[in-house]
Formats: sequence, C-alpha cells, structure tokens
Amino acid sequence: MVFIVILLAAFFLQMVLPWWVIIVISFAACGLVGKTGRIAFWSPFLAIFLLWTGMALYKSMPNQHILAERVAGMFGLGQWWLVLIVSSFIGGLVAAISGYCGYRFRKAVLYKETAD
Amino acid sequence: MMNKAKALVCIIIPVLLAYLLNTKFGDAPPLLKFLNPFAGFWQNAENATVKREKKIVLKGSRQNIEIVFDNRMIPHIFAQNDFDVYFAQGYVTAMHRLLQMDFQTRYAAGRLSEVVGRKAIELDRYQRRMGMVYGAKKSLEGMMADAKSKEMILAYTAGINAYIHSLPEKKLPLEYKLLDFTPEDWTPVKCALLLKQMSAILAMGSDEFYMTNIRKRFGADVVRDLFPDYPFREDPIIPVGTKWNFDPLPVPEAPDSANEVFAGNFRTAEKEEGIGSNNWALSGSKTASGFPILANDPHLDLSLPSIWYQIQLHAPGLNAYGVSLPGAPGIIIGFNQRIAWGVTNVAADVLDFYQVKFKDSTHTSYWYDNKWKSTTRVIDSIKVRDGATEFDTVFYTHHGPVVYLQKPKGFSKSDNIPVGNALRWIAHEKSNELKTFYLLNRGKNYNDYRRALTYYTAPAQNFIFASADNDIAITANGKFPLKWKDQGKFILDGSDPKNDWQGWIPANQNPTVKNPFRGFVSSANQSSTDQTYPYYINWEFSPYERAKRINDRLTAMTKATADSIRLMQTDSYSIHAQNILPAILKLVDPPHLNATQKEGLNVVRRWNKYYDARSIAASIFDFWSKRLQFDIWDDEFNIKDMPMKYPSRDRTVQLILAEPDSKWIDNVNTPVRETLADLVNESFKFACDSLERKYGPIGEKWQWGNVKHTTIPHLAKIPGFGSKFLMTGGGKMTINALSESNGPSWRMVVELGAHPKGHGVFPGGQSGNPGSKFYDNMIDTWAKGELYDLYFMKSPDDPSAKIISKLKISKK
Repeated sequence: MVFIVILLAAFFLQMVLPWWVIIVISFAACGLVGKTGRIAFWSPFLAIFLLWTGMALYKSMPNQHILAERVAGMFGLGQWWLVLIVSSFIGGLVAAISGYCGYRFRKAVLYKETAD
Repeated sequence: MMNKAKALVCIIIPVLLAYLLNTKFGDAPPLLKFLNPFAGFWQNAENATVKREKKIVLKGSRQNIEIVFDNRMIPHIFAQNDFDVYFAQGYVTAMHRLLQMDFQTRYAAGRLSEVVGRKAIELDRYQRRMGMVYGAKKSLEGMMADAKSKEMILAYTAGINAYIHSLPEKKLPLEYKLLDFTPEDWTPVKCALLLKQMSAILAMGSDEFYMTNIRKRFGADVVRDLFPDYPFREDPIIPVGTKWNFDPLPVPEAPDSANEVFAGNFRTAEKEEGIGSNNWALSGSKTASGFPILANDPHLDLSLPSIWYQIQLHAPGLNAYGVSLPGAPGIIIGFNQRIAWGVTNVAADVLDFYQVKFKDSTHTSYWYDNKWKSTTRVIDSIKVRDGATEFDTVFYTHHGPVVYLQKPKGFSKSDNIPVGNALRWIAHEKSNELKTFYLLNRGKNYNDYRRALTYYTAPAQNFIFASADNDIAITANGKFPLKWKDQGKFILDGSDPKNDWQGWIPANQNPTVKNPFRGFVSSANQSSTDQTYPYYINWEFSPYERAKRINDRLTAMTKATADSIRLMQTDSYSIHAQNILPAILKLVDPPHLNATQKEGLNVVRRWNKYYDARSIAASIFDFWSKRLQFDIWDDEFNIKDMPMKYPSRDRTVQLILAEPDSKWIDNVNTPVRETLADLVNESFKFACDSLERKYGPIGEKWQWGNVKHTTIPHLAKIPGFGSKFLMTGGGKMTINALSESNGPSWRMVVELGAHPKGHGVFPGGQSGNPGSKFYDNMIDTWAKGELYDLYFMKSPDDPSAKIISKLKISKK
C-alpha cells in the first residue's frame, strides 16, 4: 500500500517538481500510514529504487548507455550500470530514511498526545 | 520534552538530506540533483534514433525557415532572408553547443569565478587586465557601425536566445548540471568576446622579454648572430622574387634609444609551435579536372566538443558550406558555388610591451614625450560564486592597460607579464572581422575576395583563395602596424613617442600573390615574404619545414585529385630529419653503445623519415634531436632568474651543418671542451635510455603513436568526457601536425568547378552533448586520415544528401 502510494506520487510529482519531493512524499506517506518501522523504511526504499531504476533505463536504453558510460568514466566507476545502481541506491536510501523519520515523527507526536 | 526533541530530529534529518544532496560542495556536483533520472544527467541521454520531423513556432523569425540535418547531424539552413539565416544559425548552434559558447565567452570575459568560485579569480583578473573585455567592446562598436554585420549579430543573438528561452531546466546541457548553474541570455558582446579569444589564442604570444634578457647578457652581436631577422632556410608564403606593385609608405624612424637595455626578470608565453596551420590551392593547370583544388587544415588545441561547427547557409544571394565558430555568425572556412577560402595564422608582431615610468605610487600620471600625462583608472568588478564581489583597479596609458603593477602569487600566467608595463595589442582595436566573412560567404570571384579582406583586423591570417574562374591567390592579411625594423623585438620605452605604433600598412599593400607561375599557393605559418618586402611584420615566424614539404610535393604534383590532396594532408615526412640526420648519424660512435642503443641506431639508419604511427625510429629521432638542441643551448640560455629562449631550430640546424666548431657547442659548465660529436652521442644515448626507462625494451611500445599518445580532452578537462587514445602518426613539424592533443582541428579539401565538391572532417562531432552519438562520431574517420563527402545542397529536398531529420521554424 505505502509502496504503491509512494511509487505513483513520486512518479507524477517528479515530472514537475525537483527530486527532493521524494523526501516529502516518503515522510508524509509513512507518517500517515506507515504500519511499522520496518515497512516505513523498506517501502520507500523499494519504491524509489525501482522507480528511479526504471526511469533511468527508460532514458538510457534508447541512448545505448553512451552517456551513462561517460558519467561512469567521470566518477571512476568503470561500468555504466554501476552509475545506475549508485543513483537508485542513494535515492532509495534517502527515501527510506525520510520514510522512517516520518514514521518516528508520528510515533513521537502520538506518544506525546497520550502522555499529556 | 523528550518527544518534542525526537519529533524535531525526525524533521531535521530529511531536511538536511535534501539540502546536502541538492548542493554543490567544492568540485563535486550536487549529488542527487545530478543523479536523479527525472531532471538529472539521465535526461541528457539522447535517443540514438533521431526524430524525423519537428515543427516549432518562434516569434523571432521573419519568414518560414527550413533546416535539414544530414546523417552526421550537420544542419543545412534554408531561409528566405539574411536575418533568418543567421537567426537559424544561432538557434541550431545553441541547440548543439550552448555550454561551449557560454564557457568560452565566460573564460574570455574573465567571468569564470561566477560559476566555479574563488579558484578562478586570478584567471579572471588576468583576462580582464589583458583588456579582453575592453577589446571586445571596441570590436563590437566596429561591428555595430556596419548595417550588414549589425544585422548578422543581432539575428544570431536572437536565435540563440530563442533556443535558451525554449529550454526546460531538465534539458540543460550536462555540464550546467555538473557545475550547477544556468545559462544567461546571449548578448552581442559575447560574439565579440569569442573572436577576441581567437586573437588571444593565435596572437598573444610574445618573446620580447626573453630577447631583452638575451641582449642584456650576451650583447647585440650575439642576438644578431643567433636570433637573426630572417632564417637560414626559408620557403616564404609569397614566392621569392614576387614583385611588389605599390609605392610603399615611408617607414617610421627608429628612436636613438632603440638599443637601450632594460632590466627584466619576467617572461611571457612563448608562441607555441603546433598552433599553426596549413593551406594550399592548386591552379587548374595542376589538377586532373582542370579546375583549382583548395585545402586547409587549421591546427589548434583540440577539444570535445569540437572547436568548429559545420553548417550550410542558404538564403537569397548566399549558399555557403563550411565551419563556423560556435558563438560567431557566418562561415569562417568553407566554399560556395564559385569560390573556396581558408586561413592559417600569420605570426605578426602585433603585441608589444612598453615600460612605463610613473610619477609616483598613485599611478595617476606617467612620463611621455617629455611631460607628465594622465592615466585612466578603470575599476572592474568580478562576481564570485559563494563569495563577495572583487574589485580590481587597472590603469590605462595611451598604449593600453598596465597589466600588472604587482605580481600575484601562485598564478603561473602572471609570471609571464612584465610588471609596470603597458600592453599594446591589436585585439584592442576597433574592428569588424564579421564583415570579411559576410562578404567571403557571398563572394563570386577574386575581386570579391580582395574586397572582403580589407575589413579584417585580427588575428592576422593567410587567407587562401581559389575560384571556379581558375584564379588562385593568397594574402597575409590583417591590420599590421607600420613599424621600424625590429620594433617590438625587445621591450620598448613607453616614454618615447617614436616607439608608438605610428600608422598601419595599407590593406592593399599586405603581402599577396595571384596566380603565381608555379601553379600553386600555400602557407604553413612561415615567413610571409622574402627580404624585399618593404615593411616589417615580424623578425621570426614558424619554422619552415612544413612549408618546405608542402611546396616540394605541390611542385612535383600533376593531375592532382581530391584524393592526392587528402593523402598529402596526412603526410608525416620530416624535413628536419632530412636536414640533420645524415650529419649527425655520421658522428655516432657505435662501439660505445649498449645493446639497446645499437639496435636503436640500426632502426634510425633504416628509417624512411616518416613520423608514422608505427615508427620506432621517429620516437628515437624526436627525443634525440630535442636533446641535442638542449645540449647545445641549455648551458648558456638557461640561467636562474633570467629567463631566456633558445635560438630557433633553424639556427640550430645551421650551427650543426655549417658551424660544427662553434663556441656554443661546448658545455660551459664542464672543464673539458665538448665537440659536436660528444653532444650527438650523449643525446643519442639519452634518447634511447629515456625511451627504455619509460617503455621497456625496444619494441612495439616505442612506436611513435604510442609515445606521442594523442587524445582529445574535454573542453573543461572533465575526465571520461574526452576521447579514447588514438594511435596516430604525424608530428608538429610535419604536414600532419598532430601532437599529443594539438593538431588539425578541421581538414577540408574543395574541388572547384561547375559543381563544387567539398570533402572534410573534424575530430569530434556536431553535438556538444557527451550523451549524443554525434559527440565524437567523426573521430575515427579523422584519425584514419579520411574525409567525408560534404553535402552541398541546392534545396531542402536535394536528393544527393542523406537527410535524417527536419526542423521547420515558422513565425506565429
């Protein structure tokens, strides 16, 4: 559920907004409906990892990976697919941390309410 | 409380992540802004299948414009008026080369700090203090004063801006994303800056500082002997014996102080060999077709994106094909239905330094013509990324800017500039080079060519010409100051009016020749004329070897075809080796050589004197001859705190062949007296030992192509964006003047006739996008020494061309 929401929202919103909208989406989605800490971490991670991998391949395949090869050379990575994995992994990780933070945020706020 | 803190942390972490990964730190790009596939670099991955047809509506154009792209992505523009043709040129050039245009003009204007921060501040100061912006503004005045060039520049600017405004952020060229900045609107002064940068590349060299030091140390007689005003061996551009059919102006009188010695602990960039070029044209009497063939290959520091941009411009009264400079309208080297033209650099002395005597430390007045004269103070502001704007004060005398009053530390370019000297440089003159190209692009015959040249100022070029009327011609062309002999060979006294530039050589008296008896014209940056030319242009030009080889081959050539000319462009025969090898081989003493050196000697003995990619002998000879030159001169001419230059290669050859017992042979740092044979043997062993140390035992690794190791780097030296290693032959002193990363930036051969046929290639591609297959698609063809047939189209539907894409621009 969280996975699908993040995937779709991230896809459409990134068409018009900068990349960091994935942070807002992951935080909000997991903050609102994240069931456990584990889900709040892994759902955004997978959603963004897959989305970014898919989008990158969509651009890179018709290009025969000419550009990805060059960028790999620039970063000293050697292979074009390493750039892909690094991009998607960092993107996924940032989303995961944001999702988890969103979840912990809700916990902290809710706990505060009950404690009052 | 605890939970409030926790909640706060949960918000801070994501915000911090967003900030950190969206910001550029040092040289690293803003990481996720760059890597994300929705707006980052992945968006620059161009589809290898090109879209066939595209229509756009642009307010700026006047009528409909049709642009067709051939299978090498070269645009052929069909417009219905002059404005539209340059508008479209601006648009497509920006489409393919925006970053390059932006980067080069920022570099020229001293505005890199705006983009890369404080690390470029000294470079920016240098560019401004050398008067680049000052020169560009003056040049722009000249261009705007002429209705035609004004229209050209305004249309080109509008075209570039139409593209910039249509560009969504995610489609910005890759390097903008890496460096994290955005393009600003193009302005006419940027076109002028781009042309000034060409002057800086081709006409900023100067060695009067070395010469002043040499005169100070060894005296005027040694200067006359070792640094003569005309070379020992020469094959000038205008054939020896050509008559000057004009009455020359009187040459100004040299001042009495001309031989005064100035102190100086400074040096400037030495004119680098390799920044030169070849061009030649054969008359119909020497070709198979009976019509002229013209060839040109300008040598520059190669880069990706390519220096040149190929284009065809078609409009009423205009149909020309050739290469343009991204950032300047029109075609610089090319051909049309009737004529073809090309350029090589003229090493004219158009940059002089004047020692200035200031009244006091305020620098408000200086001594000139026996009175105090006021300086002009200019305060320049340099914007710095992530930092405070810098203000820099420069004083101008009537000569030009006083480049440095104090040397900045840790900036190598500044070591080269004499402190307290004013710079007089041709690039500071009002000028209108664009008009020359406007007229050449539309030229029909010899008279049109001659008229076009009168508008040209700098950087001075040998303009070569051929026409379907069977005329060929060459002119060493530019605005040349009228100087007394050797004026500017040494630093000049800025207080004496006789040292000023006192007028100009009239444009129609520039060295020129039409249809010479020998049936061809050519140039390779050597001396413009023999010693009968009545004016002084410079005391030293590029060495003559390339020119000699070109002229030897053209003299022998009959029934030439485009293919024989193409093969000649990649000729790597060394005249230098031909000149000295017999003399020095004789002096080698085989019994005292080790096994590798003996093998090396055998290889060199059998050598055919071609710098082929696979030649081992070429590597040995190259190291050997350079070391020998070092052995002869370094002991006298390399002295701490007194920078000097060695005598020329020509003078070295003369010494070896004609003066083997000269006192200069001896190494003054040893007690024994060395002979030429001693130096020849030392340098030969040194060459073999160096190669062995670097490349192992003598064998494949010693091949010239491997030792030279040609690659073409990215414009901003971004790793991974340059070319692969190219196993190529040639060398600086051969026709195929290809060194490590400097060489033929465009090779063109044009067969004139009823239907002109063009052939050409440059090392790179049309696109400036490293993510495009058109970024480097021509490199292999270029490295192999082959040329493409150029599509000189008559209409957008011309079936002779392979068209892959069309762009229609219409005015709404």
